[in-house]
Amino acid sequence: MSSGIPVAALDDVPVGEGLKVPKSVTGTDDNIAILRDEDGTVWALNDTCTHELASLSEGWIENGVVECPLHGSQFCLRNGKVLSLPATKDTVAHRVSVVDGQIILFPNEAP
Amino acid sequence: MTDAASVVVVGGGVAGLATVTALRAGGHVGPITLISREGLPYDRPMLSKDYLAGTRSAAQIELQPQEWFARNDIALLVGAEAAAVAAHETAVFLTDGRTIESEWIVLAAGGRAARPGIPGLDSARVHLLRARPDADRLRAALTPGARLLVVGGGLLGSEAAATATALGARVTLIDPLDPPHVSALGTSMAAWLHAQHAAHGVRVVTASLDALADEPGGIRAEWSDGGSASFDAVLVASGMTPETDLAERAGLEVDDGILVDGSLRTSQPRILAVGDCARVRGETRAEHWDAAQVAGNRSAATILGTSVAPSTAPWFWSDRYGRHVEVVGAMADPEGRHAGVVRGDPGPGHFSVWAVADGRVLGAASVDDPNAVRAARRLIDRGVEVDPDQLADPATDLRRLVRG
Repeated sequence: MSSGIPVAALDDVPVGEGLKVPKSVTGTDDNIAILRDEDGTVWALNDTCTHELASLSEGWIENGVVECPLHGSQFCLRNGKVLSLPATKDTVAHRVSVVDGQIILFPNEAP
Repeated sequence: MTDAASVVVVGGGVAGLATVTALRAGGHVGPITLISREGLPYDRPMLSKDYLAGTRSAAQIELQPQEWFARNDIALLVGAEAAAVAAHETAVFLTDGRTIESEWIVLAAGGRAARPGIPGLDSARVHLLRARPDADRLRAALTPGARLLVVGGGLLGSEAAATATALGARVTLIDPLDPPHVSALGTSMAAWLHAQHAAHGVRVVTASLDALADEPGGIRAEWSDGGSASFDAVLVASGMTPETDLAERAGLEVDDGILVDGSLRTSQPRILAVGDCARVRGETRAEHWDAAQVAGNRSAATILGTSVAPSTAPWFWSDRYGRHVEVVGAMADPEGRHAGVVRGDPGPGHFSVWAVADGRVLGAASVDDPNAVRAARRLIDRGVEVDPDQLADPATDLRRLVRG
């Protein structure tokens, strides 16, 4: 367990939008996408789609799912599981929490 | 029907793979066989892009590894080919003599590259592009400076022209229409995309190809306005022909595709057909990747006896010259009744073109702005009333419009 990394103010990630946190900040193999679902919940997944080079932080976020902006592969926000082709590999979900209006990311910790 | 029924799927493209994936995801416990003549199922759209460019290998475009089929208890018959289907006994006979009896058959045989009736098409310099070996052979011809003629300015021809240009080939693209593909893209987007060819150094000829003939050091092409030139290679990208031979010989109804109902049932209700080989009665054939995937999911629902997700507006993408194009819904406007809406400036930045009539979105096409099309898909599906001026304003938050 780490203390987590403050990555943004909650208000900086509007509902339905994403934010890419570079791997130089997270210390992970891939950049991490902070993804805010329509109900306001904040999730974090590896940013690069497992199909082709595309940033999930730029995807369409709705009903617990992010849809890749390139070819529409869908991933579960909660656990990173792939839900539709053309991607076939799950991505990695990271724990994230909101404390005093700040989004705190815990890279490589399961949600 | 119990979940223990046996299913054999003929064809390992995206429709076939989506079928077996959705069957297992939906709890189907019966035996599943997938006949995949071309090998492990792979990502066919890459054949005109990354795979043709050589930036992705055959292994890198496989959709699932061998272990996935074992893990999901799917008998994958790689390299096997169906020779015949018995409609009433629901059996598939393989070319190697094996017979697979099954309670359900799903035909997902795809299509072939169409061969227009042009003299000289049997030259060794002529290429088609449908399967991986076609892409391998074409790539070998695309050496820097090679003179390539692309016949057809649709999605495949346009993407291949862009990839060939990036590889250093000198490309000529011929199509009788300027711009081509208006029915799918709408007039303004079709024109903008077609203009990208010339902007990237491709010679564009508006004519139909009359004849090809081998000559010393090349192949000569003659077109309908009297023009003529010599090439090292010719790619014929003139659409596809649905693969219906098995169905025809089994006595299933076929008319520009294997005819199916909304549940993907052919005229023999225990035989379904999905993807490029099939056509839903009363509709035109959908030749796109997403339609094939959706059909695979729906055929699984038919077998499982479960309900299907409501249908959504048809969607496809295309990648060329480093630009990402997406299209949803109906862009054609034969009666000229659309309010043309352009969001952003057509140019190096991102933009989208919308087909709107009577306050409803009918279609949208975007360049490098996929979320505009994701929003449009939802606005179409939900029948949301829109104001064309508001849509055209890039400051309007499309996600907010979708939420209503």
